[in-house]
Amino acid sequence: MVRLFTDDLSIGYGERLIVNNLSVTIPDQKITTIIGSNGCGKSTLLKAITRIISHKSGSVLLDGKDISKENTKILAKKMAILPQSPESAPGLTVGELVSYGRFPYQNGFGKLSKKDYEVIDWALEVTGTSDYKFRPVDALSGGQRQRVWIAMALAQETDIIFLDEPTTYLDMAHQLEVLELLQKLNYEQQRTIIMVLHDLNQAARFADYIIALKDGEMVKAGSCEEVIVPQVLRQVFQIDAVIGKDPRTNKPMCITYNLLKGEKQHEKNISTLYAHASSDY
Amino acid sequence: MIHPALIKKQRMILGISILLILVTIFIGMGLGYSSLSYDRLVPTLLGQGTFKEEFVLFSVRLPRILITLLAGMALALSGAILQGITRNDLADPGIIGINAGAGVAIAVFFLFFPIEAGPFVYLLPLVAFGGAILTAFLIYLFAYNKNSGLQPVSLVLTGVGFSFALSGAMIILISSAERTKVDFIAKWLAGNIWGTDWPFIWALLPWLVLLIPFTLYKANRLNLLGLSEPVAIGVGVSIEKERIILLLTAVALAASAVSVTGGISFIGLMAPHMAKALVGPRNQLFIPVAILLGGWLLLFADTIGRNIIEPSGVPAGIMVSLIGAPYFVYLLLKK
Repeated sequence: MVRLFTDDLSIGYGERLIVNNLSVTIPDQKITTIIGSNGCGKSTLLKAITRIISHKSGSVLLDGKDISKENTKILAKKMAILPQSPESAPGLTVGELVSYGRFPYQNGFGKLSKKDYEVIDWALEVTGTSDYKFRPVDALSGGQRQRVWIAMALAQETDIIFLDEPTTYLDMAHQLEVLELLQKLNYEQQRTIIMVLHDLNQAARFADYIIALKDGEMVKAGSCEEVIVPQVLRQVFQIDAVIGKDPRTNKPMCITYNLLKGEKQHEKNISTLYAHASSDY
Repeated sequence: MIHPALIKKQRMILGISILLILVTIFIGMGLGYSSLSYDRLVPTLLGQGTFKEEFVLFSVRLPRILITLLAGMALALSGAILQGITRNDLADPGIIGINAGAGVAIAVFFLFFPIEAGPFVYLLPLVAFGGAILTAFLIYLFAYNKNSGLQPVSLVLTGVGFSFALSGAMIILISSAERTKVDFIAKWLAGNIWGTDWPFIWALLPWLVLLIPFTLYKANRLNLLGLSEPVAIGVGVSIEKERIILLLTAVALAASAVSVTGGISFIGLMAPHMAKALVGPRNQLFIPVAILLGGWLLLFADTIGRNIIEPSGVPAGIMVSLIGAPYFVYLLLKK
């Protein structure tokens, strides 16, 4: 049974529509990746599905209920969100930040129960951040910080976790570390993971299901073999891509690419350059 | 998930603050225009003083001490809340126009309504309170956006704008008024703690008794409002609702304080800031420290202020500013 899907969802800021009548289904217990060029509405879609921004029309349904009508605390027990470059308060320690993930389970003065402490310790351990428990978040490196934020999302104990570009600002090793952690969570605990990624090869390598967006509309959704193909990439990114196979994972990967528009632009630039040069004489 | 050592430290700082307050109260009880020597304090407190001693202590000094203490506490708590909901460490009640709003209301009332000595003094705090609430309401109305709700930045900007506009209006109001009336208004603006009588204490106390526990109850939400918005929404905080409730709380606290003390700024900025520097940003921990420090700061400033120049003294608001301005500069330099 599908738990989460959107129905004719339209999202926009002011008069401008970013996402137009989009119906997507998020497969359960899988890793789903949303790809698309800058400004195609992928982050906007993620924000609307997670109620961070409101949508104009259509609906997002989770367990058969419209999320805009559902109690926000109940939703927080079902889905967690790691926004793009989240900000911590200065001086806040790792343990405290992760403990904030327990908010939907607390009432009153926010005293942590024994269960809360157990979950927090577990989240710190899974993400390998137990050693920093009492260190301020702002003193950590980018990779460590990202794992701490993931730990906070884990402390929420939700089946569904959303991440908006979780690898931004991280070096290659740390990017892989974060993605492998997410893969492990999906594999060992069957958590549904939905993320926006910029890197096509990472999307192909880690995602079970890829949704490709272009100007707020879905171009293609399916397995990586179905989506990471030249025709789709041509449409989504305006690139002419050469797709091969990752020799280690056997997943499709983009080996090299050219810009479709760029080629013509380049020729034009060169001809105007010559025209200028000749007029000088 | 707070380090046990930090909790210990917080307890210790709370203890020290209470001690500071008690010592300052004791010193304050013996200082003033009329002499009341320290060896007569205890007998007078126990009801064995002369009529004059009892009058000085119970009708002059104690009410003033308690009022400054409570007002300082209320301002500090209000500042702590505002810094939390605006995610701006430089926010204080003045920023949402509380002081200016109350000031204009006082000026209008004082200049255009017939004054009778008796019930008049008791009407003033009501007028100031009304002015402050009305201003905060207008600021809210202008800062509120149909699409994005109440954005902290627009709240702060609208608040600053209103403060300036109201200060301008005030100057126009009093520039053509009689000298004696202007004197009172000017003193009020400087924060001279004019409401020094027991009824004012009873007017201020309930706000604190209700709103201190209420704010601590909301501390967890304040923690989350201090993070970026998507994070707070993601863990299930109804940010729009919480912001409005907390804003109302802050306004009520600051308005009730300012209505009896006059325009006092900086306490709401300094006290939460010092508290955060001491025990970190977790609201449960720093709010109690901020409340005590705020109470102590205003008490300390007023104790010095009312004894520094005989007989009228320097208004507490000015003393606070004398301490607060350098602290403000220090904060800016540190950033």
